[in-house]
Amino acid sequence: MIEKSKKTMDQGMDKRLFQDEALEFIWELREKGEVKKEEVIKELENRSAINEMERDGLIKIKDGKIYLTSEGEKKASDITRRHRLAERLFVDVLDLTEYEADACKFEHAISPEVEEAICTFLGHPPKCPHGKPIPRGKCCSIFTQKISPLVQRLADISVGKPARVVFITGPVMGKLSSIGLIPGAIVRLQQKSPSFVLEIEETSIAIDEDMAKGIFVRII
Amino acid sequence: MHEHRTKKIKGQYERVILIGNPNVGKSAIFGLLTGKYATVSNYPGTTVEVSYGNMSLDGKRFLIVDTPGVNNLIPMSEDERVTRDILLTEKPVAIVQVSDAKNLKRTLMLTLQLGEMGVPLILNLNMKDEARDRGLTIDTKKLEEILGIRTITTIATQRKGINNLKEAIHGPRIPITKIGYDPLIESQIEVITALLPEANISRRSIALMILSGDESLKDWLNTNMSAEEIKNLEEIKDSTQARFSTPVSYLINEARIKAAEGIGKRVLKRSHPKGSNLAPFIGRMSMHPLWGIPILILVLYGIYQFVGIFGAGTLVNLMEKAVFGKYLNPWAVKIVNALLPVTFLQELLTGEYGIISMAITYAIGIILPITTTFFIAFAILEDSGYLPRLAIMANRIFKVMGLNGKAVLPMVLGLGCDTMATMTTRILETKRERIITTFLLALAVPCSAQLGVILGMLAPISGKATLIWAGSVFATVLLAGFLASKVIPGDKAEFFLEIPPIRLPQTMNVIVKTIGRVEWYLKEAVPLFILGTLFLFFLNKLNILIYIERFASPIVVEFLGLPAKATESFILGFLRRDYGAAGLLALSEGGMLTPLQVVVSLVTITLFVPCLANFFMIIKERGMRVALLMAGIIFPFAFLVGGVLNFALRALEIQF
Repeated sequence: MIEKSKKTMDQGMDKRLFQDEALEFIWELREKGEVKKEEVIKELENRSAINEMERDGLIKIKDGKIYLTSEGEKKASDITRRHRLAERLFVDVLDLTEYEADACKFEHAISPEVEEAICTFLGHPPKCPHGKPIPRGKCCSIFTQKISPLVQRLADISVGKPARVVFITGPVMGKLSSIGLIPGAIVRLQQKSPSFVLEIEETSIAIDEDMAKGIFVRII
Repeated sequence: MHEHRTKKIKGQYERVILIGNPNVGKSAIFGLLTGKYATVSNYPGTTVEVSYGNMSLDGKRFLIVDTPGVNNLIPMSEDERVTRDILLTEKPVAIVQVSDAKNLKRTLMLTLQLGEMGVPLILNLNMKDEARDRGLTIDTKKLEEILGIRTITTIATQRKGINNLKEAIHGPRIPITKIGYDPLIESQIEVITALLPEANISRRSIALMILSGDESLKDWLNTNMSAEEIKNLEEIKDSTQARFSTPVSYLINEARIKAAEGIGKRVLKRSHPKGSNLAPFIGRMSMHPLWGIPILILVLYGIYQFVGIFGAGTLVNLMEKAVFGKYLNPWAVKIVNALLPVTFLQELLTGEYGIISMAITYAIGIILPITTTFFIAFAILEDSGYLPRLAIMANRIFKVMGLNGKAVLPMVLGLGCDTMATMTTRILETKRERIITTFLLALAVPCSAQLGVILGMLAPISGKATLIWAGSVFATVLLAGFLASKVIPGDKAEFFLEIPPIRLPQTMNVIVKTIGRVEWYLKEAVPLFILGTLFLFFLNKLNILIYIERFASPIVVEFLGLPAKATESFILGFLRRDYGAAGLLALSEGGMLTPLQVVVSLVTITLFVPCLANFFMIIKERGMRVALLMAGIIFPFAFLVGGVLNFALRALEIQF
């Protein structure tokens, strides 16, 4: 993220984009503790733009430290959330290893509707792949009250419940499809340890956790 | 195309090929059709080699071909490739698809593929009893109408429906299949079909294999088409794939599954299961993370009691001491002395290194009872369906060695016979796993005969001695496996194993299988025993043995701390490790080994070079270079571990 912030400091860069990046960086610093103004300026290499953010009412600067205003807080939370959701999507579903740069572009590009859809799709994940918390969105609070996540990895569902396969990723697709395990098929997880055992119709198969992570299902 | 098929190839019977998903009873059906036994077990992948047998039907003779199980005729594994290649190269008069009646969808997926190939087919729904117990009824009349082929239900284990099946072999038909793929795929099929040469199976089915990116088809393509044409096909395949985000092979499979489901819905009725819940319950418990462990211990204890105590103890005592010691050998000595007044010949047959007094006594007196009891226990394990569950329990440990739970099957079989087990490594998917497993079998898995002798020697000393021996061997397996997995290149294989239902083993099958294996074992072992004895006899006669013992003394006496005479056992060990162990047993019975020496010598002989038969099997399966390399590593490694153990035990002053 640090590297990217520098890149985005190009002259003539969109102001909103810059402010998003700044807010995201501030949010991240705040997770670790205090937000020192000089540290932010050093990272983003733009003193006047930081001061401009104060004029825009996004941040407050006091005793050399930066605080988020309620408006800034909301924006920072949103942008961080989109970034971390994007990371989850790239890692879990698309199985990418190099995803950081794309996650950074992605966070600016998606609408709140898409953000919500992704969050629901991923089952309202609490943390990004690096283990940092993903700020909760509106959809998440509804979820905790009434609905369960739409799509989960087979590795994460509880034993004994039937589930419908939504999609399968990874190199094992061929083998799984040979025994009839394709999207639409109904499977039941029998156990998770010492190996995963799942039932599909009258067939039981044992697979590794890695494989179970590549099978995405919806509880029915 | 059809005329070609029925045309009889000169001097050969018309062929009937058995094809089907894994573990549906192809070998059982094969046995019933031909009267010839092929190994039948309750786990997928038992048949690793194609078997042939004859069947007479109304005065006509057919050659029946049993094939390894397949889930897909676009091969995902070596056995699937073997079967698919048979379809490519053979021109059978009929194909019998043997199937599991309770898994109709998977059955039909294969039927549809065979239909696409345009081969004459009969569908056999086997295991009707299990389907019925689960409340599944199939409307075979309707299924026959839909597919346009004869559909015969059987229960192979009860010999039910076999005559109907035989009679149906007279009237195979090409199944009616109407699978519509994505329009783009369909158009590409047309393009490819026009480029392909005439083949034993339909060009459409070959086109689908090519579009699926079937690498295993390369050999066939290379022999039937020019490099340029193949390149052209590759380009068509790549350009097709480029237009889909999902692998084309997957889209093709998906269409087939959908079609199979469609048919399944029309013919399958579900009602409440009628069968007992006991077998499924045992099945679940035996792979349960918690209960699985006591069950495993119970199973091991049972095997130990049956093979170790009853086989290696009671039966060996009876055979070796009573039958051979009191009757056969004294008689043999009398007869030989009476008939052959030549001292040299007398010694050759009944002397210290005599063929009868040493080789035959070992083979029949010691080895036979142990092997027989082990193979009975193993057959029961196999047929009950416990072994795949053991694979689940052991998966994590095997991961350390770059393997997965699937390797449990050859490793446990190795406790019966390493040579057989080396052949069974074919059920493993990657070459890397096969090499590692073959290596571990050759290094450290004692076969039943050796195991029996070893346990027989350790038991009188103490439980501690047994534990130290077992611990050393086990630690060596783990360490060697771990190192091998670091050295041998290749990807780790994903664990993917079908779990068969728990079944009550059929007594007849257990007996037949055990006899078959014991026979194989004796055929393999006895000649080597005789050869080894002759070898020792001449070494002794020519006084070379003394020199070898002196020459090996720094290693055997200094490093391993054993008496010089133990060298003889190691020489025997070159031919067979169990024979070497039997030699040690004789030494130990003669009071020439201390408990510590027993443990050290047994660990060394356990890790010693694989027997000649196993060595030849390694050459056959893995090639000369790999076999020599393995032997070259194992030989010094065995002495190294033995030596280290010797010093460790002495340094720690362990008492037995």
